[in-house]
Amino acid sequence: MVDAATGPLFLRRERLWPVVLASAAAHAAILAWGALHRPPPIVDLEQKPIVAKLVRLGEKRPEAFLPRKEEAPPPAAPATVPIPGPAAKPPTPAARSAPAPTRPDPLASAMNRIRREQALSAPPRYGDPSGSPEGEASDAEEGDRYLALATQALKANYRLPSTLSEKDRMFLKATVVLSIEPDGHISGFRFEQRSGNAAFDDALERAVRQTRLPPPPPEMRERYRSVGLGVHFHM
Amino acid sequence: MPRLLVTLLLLVPAASLAQQRQYIDVGSPDFHPLPVAIAPFQSDPDARLASSEASLTLGDDLVLSGIFEVVDPKSFLADPGEGLTAPSIRFARWADVGAEGLVKAQVKKAGTLVSGELHLFEVRAAKEVLFRVYKGARSPRVLAHQMADDVVQYYTREPGVFRTRIAAIRKVRGTRELVLFAVDGKDPEVVDREPGIAVLPVWRPDGSEILFTSYRSGRPELWALELASRRVRPVLDQGELSTGGTFSPDGKRIAFTSSEDGNSDIWVANADGTNARRLTRDPATDTSPTWSPDGRRIAFVSNRSGNPHIYVMNADGSNQRRLTFQGNYNQTPRWSPRGDLIAFTARDERKVFDVFTVSPETGKIGRVTQDQGLTNEEPSWAPNGRLLVFTSDRNGLPQLVVSTPTGDRQKVVTGDAAELCTPAWGPLPQ
Repeated sequence: MVDAATGPLFLRRERLWPVVLASAAAHAAILAWGALHRPPPIVDLEQKPIVAKLVRLGEKRPEAFLPRKEEAPPPAAPATVPIPGPAAKPPTPAARSAPAPTRPDPLASAMNRIRREQALSAPPRYGDPSGSPEGEASDAEEGDRYLALATQALKANYRLPSTLSEKDRMFLKATVVLSIEPDGHISGFRFEQRSGNAAFDDALERAVRQTRLPPPPPEMRERYRSVGLGVHFHM
Repeated sequence: MPRLLVTLLLLVPAASLAQQRQYIDVGSPDFHPLPVAIAPFQSDPDARLASSEASLTLGDDLVLSGIFEVVDPKSFLADPGEGLTAPSIRFARWADVGAEGLVKAQVKKAGTLVSGELHLFEVRAAKEVLFRVYKGARSPRVLAHQMADDVVQYYTREPGVFRTRIAAIRKVRGTRELVLFAVDGKDPEVVDREPGIAVLPVWRPDGSEILFTSYRSGRPELWALELASRRVRPVLDQGELSTGGTFSPDGKRIAFTSSEDGNSDIWVANADGTNARRLTRDPATDTSPTWSPDGRRIAFVSNRSGNPHIYVMNADGSNQRRLTFQGNYNQTPRWSPRGDLIAFTARDERKVFDVFTVSPETGKIGRVTQDQGLTNEEPSWAPNGRLLVFTSDRNGLPQLVVSTPTGDRQKVVTGDAAELCTPAWGPLPQ
């Protein structure tokens, strides 16, 4: 009989110890190297940011339909020229209107009423079947979230005077570089390329000064502070 | 050599940083009206009323232009010590109330005529940028329209339109009146009374005549009204009917709709009605021609695809192509004097008629009116292409509305007791 303490298996275990130690050391070295050595994040500088929007949940608007504005229209201004004649008296329950010279066609009246009711009912809101109930746009694409937010914030303040001539509007463009602090504050900006039109450049300055950005993602904070974020303003 | 080396070493990281910078695109700006303050006009005691009317009219014009907003006079107290020259003006106070432009003026009366002077200042630059003297204006309103045109011209380098007129047909029981309105809807002037139906007035480009479709002889024909003499003369009675005539931009030709054997097509003739020739030969209905501003193309309506849509062709009838593919009832196209847009009326999916624009190059459609009454129709462009006029029933009877092409600023300018239809914005004064 072979003693278990001195058997071949025990002997084999003893011989394995150096191998196990070497393996553990190699693993530790690899882990340490992995922990200490962090390569910089790879940023594709050729990639153009895409504005991200929340798509409204809903049925797709048929392509054959005419476009609808997303915003409510301005309220109609009252007529500036009053209709001549005496001021209308407030109606009284007993008052009866004067008979019309001709009797209106009842069918036409009914059709007109239906048409008016249909037209004045709330318009359908179109979106995307996979959209969000909080969505505000009828279509959208995915993209870089921070850059989309920055674009959105700048665009909210990108207001130009209507007096800019149509000819100028066709060609005006300028590039501004923003220095962004880790908390999102724009600590400075400079024109990399001016438009040459004072009214346009002044408006860009105002837009940048009024803009509040969210804090950049951690991996981009140093870059946006030291290198800056370029903004191409165009029509 | 060492200096060069150091410079290069300094430049390398800078170039590398610039390369690593990310860029975003910000486009499609919002255009906001330029805030302008109008100081109380100076005047002699006998010109107070005229001065006040001129000031109000100028303010209304600037707002109607769509490119200015007038600072509320209640928001500032005019300093009586301020004069009409820059050194006497405390610009900081005007900047505090948000004004970027400041208008000062003086009005005088000489008999029935009104004269005056205009001073325009840029508040941030604290300097006078425009000075004009006016003599012999027929009324304070005429004086104010001249001032408004000059202010618009200064800021946009394009002519203002406040001395132009808008022609429209007024439907009066049994007759039709051809009426000229000021751009702000005031001063209506009846220039012709038609015994029967009359529609679709258009201006000769020099402003001397108005061409319109009249049923004087029992069927639609083209007639012209000479504005100086108020004389009406027949121009064209081609085929079974002739309607919707419109002058080419040089005033030498007329494009119109004519019907032969029950088929309506687009025709063109000399301005005197001679040498009529057919441009389209489609069995479908072709109608409502409108010229491009260079006179080389014509847009029109055709139902050859089943429903009325806007089409474009060369002025000789060649290269006909469909422009609109949205909607199912697009009509009354009017080509912008700038050439970049065609305004038209369309019925949307809710059976409501609204005004739209379409780019003749890309076919992209923009919406001008929405949820503003049941019928907004028959757009016509201001001669500078910055404004549209159309009719709308949003307040009841169809009235004239002046709007920017985007529809972001609209104003019902008339409150006429009768229905108005088919407006046509006249040319700039010659």
